[in-house]
Amino acid sequence: MPEISVKTENLVRNFGSFVAVNQVNIEVYQKEIFGFLGANGAGKTTMIRMLCGLLKPSSGKATVGGLDVYRQSEQIKRSIGYMSQKFSLYEDLTVEENINFYGGIYDLNQKRIQKKRDEIFFSLGMGDYARTLTYDLPLGFKQRLALGCALLHDPRILFLDEPTSGVDPKARRDFWEIIHQTVALGTTIFVTTHFMEEAEYCHRVFIMDAGKIIALDTPTKLKNRYKKKSMQEVFVTLVEKQQEKKTNPMPDSNDKMS
Amino acid sequence: MQRIFSMMVKEFKQVFRNRPMLSIIFIAPILQLFILAFAITTEVLHIKLLVCDLDRSQVSKEVVRGFGNTDRFDLLGFSTDLKEIKEKMKAWEAQMALVIPPGFSRDLGRGQNPEIQVVVDGVDGNTAGVALGYARGILGEFGTNYVKNRPNYTQPVGIHLVNMEERMWYNPDLSSQQFMVPGIVVVLLTILPMMLSALSLVKEKEIGTLEQLMVTPLTRYQLLLGKLIPFLILSYVELAVVMTVAIVFFKIPMNGSYLLLAGLAFLYLFTTLGLGIFISTITSSQQQAMFTAWFFMVFMILMGGFFIPIENMPPILQKLTYLNPMRYFIYIIRDIFQKDSSLFSLLKDAVPMTAFGLLIFSLSVLKFQKRVG
Amino acid sequence: MSLSKDRISAIARKEFFHIIYDFRTLFIIFLMPVVQLIIFGYALNLEIQRVDMAVVDLARSTQSRKLVGQFSGSKFFRPFFYQGRLDDLEDLFKSREAKVAMVIPFDFERKLQNETSVQVQFLVDASDANAAILIRNYCNQVIMDYNENRGVKLPLPFDLRSTILFNPELKSSHFFVPGVIAMILIMISALLTSITISREKETGTMEQILVSPVRPLEIISGKVIPYIVLAFLDAAVILLVGLVVFKVPFKGSLFLLTGLTVLYILTALSLGLLISTQARTQQVAMMMALLITLLPTVMLSGLVFPIASMPKLLQYLTYLIPARYFLLIVRGIMLKGSVFSQLLGPCFFLALLTLILLGVSVKRFNMNLER
Repeated sequence: MPEISVKTENLVRNFGSFVAVNQVNIEVYQKEIFGFLGANGAGKTTMIRMLCGLLKPSSGKATVGGLDVYRQSEQIKRSIGYMSQKFSLYEDLTVEENINFYGGIYDLNQKRIQKKRDEIFFSLGMGDYARTLTYDLPLGFKQRLALGCALLHDPRILFLDEPTSGVDPKARRDFWEIIHQTVALGTTIFVTTHFMEEAEYCHRVFIMDAGKIIALDTPTKLKNRYKKKSMQEVFVTLVEKQQEKKTNPMPDSNDKMS
Repeated sequence: MQRIFSMMVKEFKQVFRNRPMLSIIFIAPILQLFILAFAITTEVLHIKLLVCDLDRSQVSKEVVRGFGNTDRFDLLGFSTDLKEIKEKMKAWEAQMALVIPPGFSRDLGRGQNPEIQVVVDGVDGNTAGVALGYARGILGEFGTNYVKNRPNYTQPVGIHLVNMEERMWYNPDLSSQQFMVPGIVVVLLTILPMMLSALSLVKEKEIGTLEQLMVTPLTRYQLLLGKLIPFLILSYVELAVVMTVAIVFFKIPMNGSYLLLAGLAFLYLFTTLGLGIFISTITSSQQQAMFTAWFFMVFMILMGGFFIPIENMPPILQKLTYLNPMRYFIYIIRDIFQKDSSLFSLLKDAVPMTAFGLLIFSLSVLKFQKRVG
Repeated sequence: MSLSKDRISAIARKEFFHIIYDFRTLFIIFLMPVVQLIIFGYALNLEIQRVDMAVVDLARSTQSRKLVGQFSGSKFFRPFFYQGRLDDLEDLFKSREAKVAMVIPFDFERKLQNETSVQVQFLVDASDANAAILIRNYCNQVIMDYNENRGVKLPLPFDLRSTILFNPELKSSHFFVPGVIAMILIMISALLTSITISREKETGTMEQILVSPVRPLEIISGKVIPYIVLAFLDAAVILLVGLVVFKVPFKGSLFLLTGLTVLYILTALSLGLLISTQARTQQVAMMMALLITLLPTVMLSGLVFPIASMPKLLQYLTYLIPARYFLLIVRGIMLKGSVFSQLLGPCFFLALLTLILLGVSVKRFNMNLER
């Protein structure tokens, strides 16, 4: 039995009367790519924010790397990496300066930052861009740089919130290649996406609708169970089933709620 | 320590990379200095005067000459039509009119006390009041001279006048710059730190980097210190630049201790930086932050004694100014510049100012949470 | 190509929702002028009252007491007797317990009997020069009254009648209500538009709009219309508060004022547009707008301080301030009942300024798009 990286028990988060995450139980294992699917407003961002310690859960339990999200959120922050769809880089700093900055924030020593910087430049193929303002980078490179910064301190768990939205298919494929390499080195990946073809890259996926889990298994098993050729079709089938069950449709926007 | 340092390096780089902003930060105050130092004067000069001399005698011309000989009045024209006065005032072509009635010199000679009329545009009450005072003075002088020059004039006996001997302390030349410029320093130490810290925090919120910082091990205090220390340093640089310009270029005398000024400025910056953080916690976009900061600013400047003297306000509003931290620092800085006041004599302002600063700062830091919801 | 009304209204609607969803900004936009009105209407009083005066009466005689009484009787002074050492008088200034001190000499009574004049010393804290001048003039006035009461003044050979037109009680609120309208209108129009346009640039939504078939002029009109509405509403609120709370008269034509207000708002919007073409980020736009609108409008437009008293160089600078002209217009119409033909001068300059600003900013706007 592999070690558990992330575990939630009956996790709930309300915003007023709206339930963004409703009684969610998951276990994520080490070295696993754990995909988290759902339409916009399904509660993906809320879930990630709770696990990263950005948002307090309303009730339920959750641990990340064995640490409690209520009491040990600051320790959790030391061992996780986080990258959101906004690619939170400073666009008025150069590539190099962004790396130095985040390295400094994670308390890495100069040698280590130097090493990481070279690694990023080499593996991402962006050595030429070292002194370029991040503002001027192509979107695909911004995404890779953001990933590089999130991995600077070799986190044990990496949270990715819609990391590929807005980038072209080629860049998306390259990105997943890096993800696989990272996992090989022992990192757990927790990724949200609404691109169903990306779900195929994950070891296990977890589909959420209106704050609730509606499926949790490997892509292959899910496809077999619903007798579909792609995750895309699985997803559509599942969501349609949900819609039929519902008497009252849920409000559809709250992914961005803060 | 390295974390705070990394924050600071980043913050400085961003400030220096933003050239337009940087030039605004440094050019604006100097421009302000220039405008404020000269524009704010309650002295009233060059009042537009319309003369309606219906007498046209030697004597009436002498009355008019009295008004022409001073830069307090600009003689704009002559009119014989009394209706024209009001119309000219409506068109902003005259502020005051002097009406000398027909037969003025004849009646004056006969001792029949003719009537001189002064009509003034009362829209600007302050100017109108001063203008009336000037007119009374000029006419009074004319009258006294006229009486004294009468052939049958005899010096009244037993006149013992009380005269005024005045000493203007601290500012014998009566230059208003001496008073305004230290005030500008306070305005700068209010606007700059408050705006910069509020806008920069909210900007990070807007672009999402603040969220990124929140999932790092950077603590709240490290984040804020790393952010605020650069602005603190920048504020001091600004203070130094403005004071240099003021002292070297405008020749504003600085009689007090630089050390005391720098020290008390540090205490004041707690207030303004704290307000900046506070604003960033209650707003979610730069536009909102800007407006909120603007609101604070206008209130603080207008009610801080910067150009409306607190002593002139109605008592209720005067009491209200005790809630304004800027009030204390304006008094302090003016006293240091002009009166070389010691820390001891400034305590009654320094203590409440510091209390405000620490209160606002610590409340804001508490309100600034490392969570998003 | 003609402008499309539908496209303009689509942009205007979007912008309008931006505004009303942002309660805080909206709240400030409407609360701010009211607070300013109250401060200007009640607090801004350039006339000093009840100046604390330390009295050192070394003579302690009947006449010296009468002199002090003359000061107590004046509304300008609040005299108190100072018992300390003469050398420590400065401490009163340092602690701001007094702004002026009067020293009546030992031999006051004797000199008043035997000599033609006697000197009374006034020490004035001149750190605030304007206040010091006023204090000196008030002291002078009281001394003159004192001399007059002792019957030593020559009577004037003529009577002086003074008439105050338009604002006989010299109320400062009458002066400032129209002033606040001028200030708020330019702040909202120039500041908000410049921020709005640079925000679109910063967030990249501008590019999205630009690739759609919308023409630049349509974008500008669409963005600007909601702010014209907002500015108008705000002006109406100020006007209403002024008329109801401060009882400011309205003598002229509301129609004329409305028309000229539109002109002024156009001027301010062009200014905002020009700023936004220069600034790449919101921060820069805000700082520039504040620098260009707030300070000059308060200081150089004649809002508080008379332009004619400023040094020549600054006076020339005031010709570039839109509020300078609008102040003449709004004060003229409201307080004096001026008609259009009497306001031709300011109207002409305002129109000219608008044309220049608009021309330059549209040109720069198009240039920015081509890059």
